[in-house]
Amino acid sequence: MNIAKLLRTGVAALAITAAAGAIPHAAQASVPLTETGSSLLYPLFNLWVPAYTASHSGATITTTSTGSGAGIAQSIKGLVQIGASDAYLSDAVVKGHPTMLSIPLAISSQAINYNLPGIASLNLSGPILAGIYEGKITKWNDPAIAAANPGVTLPDHVIVPIHRIDGSGDTFIFSQYLAFSDKDWASTLHYGTSISWPAVSGGIGANGNPGMVTALQNNPYGVAYIGISFAKQVAAAGLGQAALLDKHGEYVLPTEETISTAASSVASTTPADERISIVFTPGVNAYPIVNYEYAIVNSQQPNKATAAAIRKFLTWAVNEGNATSFVSQVHFLSLPAAVKALTVAQIKTIK
Amino acid sequence: MKLRPFRLFVLILSLFIPAALVAVILFLVIYSGQAIVFNGLHFITNVNWNLGDLYDDPVVVRGIQVPAGAAYGVLAFIVGTLATSALAILIAVPLSIGTAIFLCEAVPEIERATWRYFPWLPPLRQALAMLVELVAVVPSVVFGLWGVAVLIPFLGHYVSPTGNGYGLLAASIVLALMITPIIASTLYDALSQVPKENRESAFALGSTHFEVVTKAMLPMVRTTLIGGIVLALGRALGETMAVLMVSGGGINILPTSLFSPISTIASFIVSQLDSAETDPTNMAVRALSEIALVLFLITLAVNAGAKLLSSGALNVRKPQ
Amino acid sequence: MSASLSNPPVRGLALRRSVTSAVGWIACGIGLALVIFPLLDIVGVVTLNGLAAINWNLFTKDTGGPALGMANAIEGTFIITIFAMAIAVPIGVGAGIYLSEYGKNRLGSTIRFLSDVLTGTPAVVLGYFSYIVFIISFGWGFSLAAAAITIAILIVPYLARISELALTQVPNTMREAAFALGGTDTTVVFKVVLPAASSGVITGALLALAISVGETAPLIYTAGWSDYAWNGQFTHAPIAYLTYVIWTFINQPDAHSHSLAYAAAFLVMMVVLTINIGVRLMVRRG
Repeated sequence: MNIAKLLRTGVAALAITAAAGAIPHAAQASVPLTETGSSLLYPLFNLWVPAYTASHSGATITTTSTGSGAGIAQSIKGLVQIGASDAYLSDAVVKGHPTMLSIPLAISSQAINYNLPGIASLNLSGPILAGIYEGKITKWNDPAIAAANPGVTLPDHVIVPIHRIDGSGDTFIFSQYLAFSDKDWASTLHYGTSISWPAVSGGIGANGNPGMVTALQNNPYGVAYIGISFAKQVAAAGLGQAALLDKHGEYVLPTEETISTAASSVASTTPADERISIVFTPGVNAYPIVNYEYAIVNSQQPNKATAAAIRKFLTWAVNEGNATSFVSQVHFLSLPAAVKALTVAQIKTIK
Repeated sequence: MKLRPFRLFVLILSLFIPAALVAVILFLVIYSGQAIVFNGLHFITNVNWNLGDLYDDPVVVRGIQVPAGAAYGVLAFIVGTLATSALAILIAVPLSIGTAIFLCEAVPEIERATWRYFPWLPPLRQALAMLVELVAVVPSVVFGLWGVAVLIPFLGHYVSPTGNGYGLLAASIVLALMITPIIASTLYDALSQVPKENRESAFALGSTHFEVVTKAMLPMVRTTLIGGIVLALGRALGETMAVLMVSGGGINILPTSLFSPISTIASFIVSQLDSAETDPTNMAVRALSEIALVLFLITLAVNAGAKLLSSGALNVRKPQ
Repeated sequence: MSASLSNPPVRGLALRRSVTSAVGWIACGIGLALVIFPLLDIVGVVTLNGLAAINWNLFTKDTGGPALGMANAIEGTFIITIFAMAIAVPIGVGAGIYLSEYGKNRLGSTIRFLSDVLTGTPAVVLGYFSYIVFIISFGWGFSLAAAAITIAILIVPYLARISELALTQVPNTMREAAFALGGTDTTVVFKVVLPAASSGVITGALLALAISVGETAPLIYTAGWSDYAWNGQFTHAPIAYLTYVIWTFINQPDAHSHSLAYAAAFLVMMVVLTINIGVRLMVRRG
């Protein structure tokens, strides 16, 4: 009896839902787009989309945070129209899928943070960080660190290196910095969104940027790489920010000036397909861990309407969307003019 | 015997379950085929996990395209999975038994005593049971957040010799908290269904209340207890997010102490799937399917073991 | 403890026995406290942070806009759950009926065993299975159909085993009486056994419901995500769900996203609690 009653109620509920679902919701004038991928780019997309849909009535764009790998894979498979990625497509992927484009939308960077009570400024370099993460440099008063920090009394304490466990664009650019400045790292561990982290006793893996901030907070004598959009939380947690050795041989902090110096140093050398690293670039006063945030898009879309919708949105994103009012909220920088021209040219090829 | 359409119908319905399982296993076997060939036995005996250089040209090894430098050894994750689950069960079982006994036997008496003076108090037993039910739906990422915000600083300050709270113990405690409600509630249900006659005859023999519970009631619910533990173990083996957030994510390293960073198979799959998808040869995803297959075998073994245990328990019960 | 005082101890061994009892009760009480305090803390954290973030926009506005609502996610979770339950309940309860009424044989115990194995499958593996099979091979795209089927696979084994346990507890005398009165298989099961075990079966369904509302991992690769309300299509249309809000927004740098994540977690708890209480009241009255 009870079951029958329940069943009947359930069926009725189902019917009502199905009927409600059958009525199309808001009239969708243009093609609905979906963006998925990088969790670094996600906050910026979340600022862009409401502004864009407000000024372009009928446009519907869904933003999703899954991870750069998912963004690339799902864009290639045609499940989403825009894949967001902190890394450009590899040669092997481009060879297999020649119609896939890597389109820079903005410039991001990363800070190396540390938790050393009483030490306000610290210099670090690629080889030092590589040594720490490989377990070759284990104490803060190691001669290599001391040499980089004259006049600073470093504690005789074991270093706690903290890395991301989840696949991450932050790991990609961090490992690129190590690979480009340390030959040993380049030949054994390479760079990528996941690294085969060497067994360092006391080393810790954390999940996501918030996990990195808390792990560093929980572990005095720790060091961690954290996306620049979390600068506010890092400062609130009282964690230090290291100056990094650039290619020119100087220690620089991540500031708007040093990041844009790095970005403009590659502006003239960025190739037409825009797949280039901005990590450890030559140039005076150029911060070494900077990257383009990419939209991974297939230039051959299934129909003209979809292609037009993608072109329209991406064009808006690199023009109006690159205004400081948007990018500075997540501590990103706008694209330099020369790069913007290349990006616009790439967007035009989406058919 | 004549044909019984209803029995046939429910049989067909129940065959959906093995069908789904077989479909998933077949999928994993086919999908990981190349990885099984490439990895051989090294897969479960090596501790070295390296996706290789995904940004360099792939190389061909034994006729199979893989990223340069790729190596897939998952021993550390197998150890991590078994260690966290075993430790979690070890913590959860005594806690669950204590909780169930207290809820079932002591709380009613406390209630009777306090209600005399505070009749407006809500029924304590129901409130506690409700809390347990609520915990079943708290998303595991919230457990993870709690672990990071409360448990890890606590372990770091007061327990860990190195000051680091992340690792095997933290993961096991969080898992234990997630599975205790499962074991405790099945046990509580079973305890409250023990026939009155059994309790009363134990009292009549002069047992104390505690002896009635431990000597007369607990042995009767042994099968249910094992069933609950098996369900809980299934949950512990498959749990991902909460473990990922507190385990310290050790790779390429076998645990040496309670505070060693570890990874479990399930949490490792979640953490690597995104990067694996960028592998142009697709070998990384195939290797992850192979680990999923290993987890299946572990679950299979655990369930087989539990089955043996519970059939033993049944034999114990029968004579009375 | 008042419990042991109710039985005046016999002399001789009495002292040791009552000390053992007292220590035992205290240990059990400590066990309860060790479980209850962290759980209270967790539920409390979700409730406090969630309550602080609750406002009317949550239920009327979609995600993605500046208003920070999540009506699309609430609706999506509701729809995915209804369809998943519509698939899983007949199969799960049917399997439970088979296992308890006719499954006391080798085939039954094999099904029981495989069902327990399926319970231990990590949800993310199921999600990836569905991603490759439904989304890619069948070409459904991110969709309600794929999401509902995945969740159904996840919860069927729980439903089957818990219904079986509930049905087995119905005394055999009731079945024998019903058959003696000339009942057929169907009438015995639906008019006698199932009603007698309804409370247990409903407990199983509620647990299944809780799992399907609270899962994230299997949905990321099947439901996708949409910032808009469901458009009525079963395939080729991603759909929103509440746990995505928790999972994603908790990883955002801004405090506003965090409060939205807690609000979603709180809502998930409240929805399940409400359904739970509602169904139990309904059953008691009916």
